[in-house]
Amino acid sequence: MSHAMFSEQAAPTAQGLLAPPSAEPPTFPRVPVSGYSDCSQPFQLGERSFSRQYAHIYAVRLAGMRPGLERCARSRWGNDIALRKLSELQAGEKCCVVGTLFKAMQLQPSILQEISEEHNLVPQPPLPKYIQPSDELMLEDELQRIKLEGAIDVQRLVTGTILAVYGSEQDDGRFLVEDHCFAGLPLPLPWNGPSSNRFVLLASGLGLGSVSGEALLSTQLLVDVVTGQLGAEGEQSCAAHITRVILAGNLLSQNTQSRDTINKAKYLTKKTQAASVEAVKMLDEILLQLCTSVPVDVMPGEFDPTNYTLPQQPLHRCMLPLASTYATLRLVTNPYQANLDGVRFLGTSGQNISDIFKYSSMDDYLEILEWTLQAGHISPTAPDTLGCYPFYKSDPFILTECPHVYFCGNAPHFQSKLLQGKEGQRVLLVTVPDFSATQTACLINLCDLTCQPITFSGFGADSEDRDMEVGH
Amino acid sequence: MADELYLENIDEFVTDQNRVVTYKWLSYTLGVHVNQAKQMLYDYVERKRKESSGAQLHVTYLVAGNLHQNGHVCHKVAVVREDKLEATKSKLSTLASVHVYSIQKALLKDSSPLYNTDYDIVKTNLQHCSKFSAIRCAAAVPRTPPEAPRAPAPQGQSEPHAAGAVNGHGPPAARATPQQHRGIAGMFAAKAAAKPQDAPKETKAETKEAPSVSAASSKPLIKNNIMNNFFGKAAMNKLKANSVPEQPKEEKEAVKPSVAEPELSPNAVAEKPGKKTESARIQQKDKKSKMKRADRSDDEEERDPENVKKKRKRIKQLQSDSSDEEDVPPSPTPEEERAPSPPPVPALKTELEPASTEGSAGGRRRKRKRVLKSKMFIDEEEGCMVTEKVYESESCTDSEDEFPKPKAPAPHKPPVLPTKREPKEERKNLKKGAAPANRANKQVSIMGFFQKK
Repeated sequence: MSHAMFSEQAAPTAQGLLAPPSAEPPTFPRVPVSGYSDCSQPFQLGERSFSRQYAHIYAVRLAGMRPGLERCARSRWGNDIALRKLSELQAGEKCCVVGTLFKAMQLQPSILQEISEEHNLVPQPPLPKYIQPSDELMLEDELQRIKLEGAIDVQRLVTGTILAVYGSEQDDGRFLVEDHCFAGLPLPLPWNGPSSNRFVLLASGLGLGSVSGEALLSTQLLVDVVTGQLGAEGEQSCAAHITRVILAGNLLSQNTQSRDTINKAKYLTKKTQAASVEAVKMLDEILLQLCTSVPVDVMPGEFDPTNYTLPQQPLHRCMLPLASTYATLRLVTNPYQANLDGVRFLGTSGQNISDIFKYSSMDDYLEILEWTLQAGHISPTAPDTLGCYPFYKSDPFILTECPHVYFCGNAPHFQSKLLQGKEGQRVLLVTVPDFSATQTACLINLCDLTCQPITFSGFGADSEDRDMEVGH
Repeated sequence: MADELYLENIDEFVTDQNRVVTYKWLSYTLGVHVNQAKQMLYDYVERKRKESSGAQLHVTYLVAGNLHQNGHVCHKVAVVREDKLEATKSKLSTLASVHVYSIQKALLKDSSPLYNTDYDIVKTNLQHCSKFSAIRCAAAVPRTPPEAPRAPAPQGQSEPHAAGAVNGHGPPAARATPQQHRGIAGMFAAKAAAKPQDAPKETKAETKEAPSVSAASSKPLIKNNIMNNFFGKAAMNKLKANSVPEQPKEEKEAVKPSVAEPELSPNAVAEKPGKKTESARIQQKDKKSKMKRADRSDDEEERDPENVKKKRKRIKQLQSDSSDEEDVPPSPTPEEERAPSPPPVPALKTELEPASTEGSAGGRRRKRKRVLKSKMFIDEEEGCMVTEKVYESESCTDSEDEFPKPKAPAPHKPPVLPTKREPKEERKNLKKGAAPANRANKQVSIMGFFQKK
């Protein structure tokens, strides 16, 4: 019923503005935020030291997830199951082992191979997927590793996943898997959501600073709808129920990366301006327009001027002088976790999902998103193929509580799904599409956890009716 | 009638000025609510078309509503041309809104003129971009003062790094970027702009914020002195030099010397030449020096890094332009050349006397000084570029005297140098004469850095 909520309330007064000017037109107050708390502390890095090796993060990941996995294993395969470490394995004994997956992939880009002079290799061009039939899975725990075969989908799984396998060690030293399980959905959070309509607009991939200006009008239309400039009265009053806007990364376009300046000598680039400067100015103006009307959370993405490794730190407010004067602007980390009006949001700008996409046979972003939830970890491929900070005390990407809204940005299409868990979890999974390509954003209704895409379009010389590729 | 006025306005915009009149543009231009603007546009279209059916008007509409697509119910918002209006409306299962988006004389091929119009008008109205909107947000207030002043402090220090090759985008909106070019004048303008900012900040501040404000201002003061110590003498000298060419510029500038002096009290010695030359100026503009110290200190940390950057630029420019009004005589510089590291006091003392005479004379003078310059030329025999540092005498104006000198070191080089090269070098040197001269000065003697004009 609430899918259409946004428009149906507006329908009666749809044509109201096709009339001569009336008396004082109404202004609608923005529905205030009833409760907001930022839960992204685990993703905020203070002092950073890169002198540690990455082995520690795997160690704490395994140690952190082992209890949950052992519990899952017992509930699945019986309480009397034998839980063994790899060093305790005996040939032929049916047991359960908890460990970290490692997938040996031939096509996986390796910097050591690239710079090795003996091999004389040309660096491999980036491929959409690096999977091959010859890939192999290993299970590692604190001390040993063992090759896996059997009832396990090698293509689908990725390095860094913590899982429990049930089977036995063979004579040739491999582990024959009969069944495996993941950590499963984390524990549910109590529901304190609002009782009336409250919307959150999720958009990602604004892609400012790109060469083409097609998406610019759509971006402006998005801002105008949210700030209540566009639309008839009914629509504006609906838009006043948008309590927050979350921009999930890639505010700048990939074009602003300007790789060629990296290769040029510094004295030749003396007076040149980075392409991102103009783009950030444009971003500042857009954010200013939004901030004067609605609270905005800005997450950095792959192409934004912040650090590369996960968790990405918030953009610095000095880049946004106009907008950062407003208290409604919040510059947040990637991944981002917060309680909005009693609803727990957790999401990323999409690097975690797109990295899994490259190393897994899974093709659907929504499927991958759901899989990370089931696996209990936001980004298992970090730090193997995705840059990550060398944590050593604890792994902040382990999912300990089940969010109500779990999203990823910069997906190719809009998709959403309401997932129901065994222990009463209710999660709305949303893949937020790349706005610069699809001109589509998402409206989430906090009241009943539904999601509706919202598309914007202008008209062009070639065709007016560009049907947006939406969903599925 | 006031009601009809808008019709005339729209008529003028569309037909006479040939503009693309969007609802947003009209709303800002006439200062009306966006919905009223949309209705005005509609009214105009209707009347105009009633009057003359051949009216040359093209209209674009905004259509929004639900669309069933790929199994989803998607809310679609589209700007469409009039000829596609009905088709678009028919596709939607529920119509949420439709209104006029823009009116223009010509048929638009694509929507980029609409975007450009909206972009321009928003850009000129950034300070109150939600004024005519239909939604008011109570939470959208500028941040409270304790947060804002803290931000300029780290901002100010990161500015010299962040600015880099590109001239200032960093500073908050209160400081207009063009003013950065004008050195001290810019500092004053920035301060003037910050002053009204400070005033509302102070009115907003409750008693509990007053101690934090004073703490903040004392912190910048301390920072000031540190910054000023580092750049102090150069800053003082630059102040003198700058204030001369900017005499016709803003009056408040005069306060800067008098202001800077008490704040640079640790550099008392360096100040003396400053005071002498400034006294003339202060007498001229005495009445303007009534600014409070607290106000100024808030901006010191932004000014000083700006100063540093601007001063460096100014030094180059000053040496290159033919400023006859330079107070600080170039005479100290020959002394620097001879004694590469003269002790500060004697150098200053020698500068004091010419400064005082200079101040009283207050006149035009061309001075010849020997400057260490880098000469770069192509060595034909070995086919490489050679850079040599040579002394050459140069007047305050950038010019003629460079020519004789290169010939002196020239003899020991292979005489294969074609004559064509020399005009090129000279041209190059003309352009860059000031810059390497300055750098050379600095390299020769560190005191030269502090005794800059």
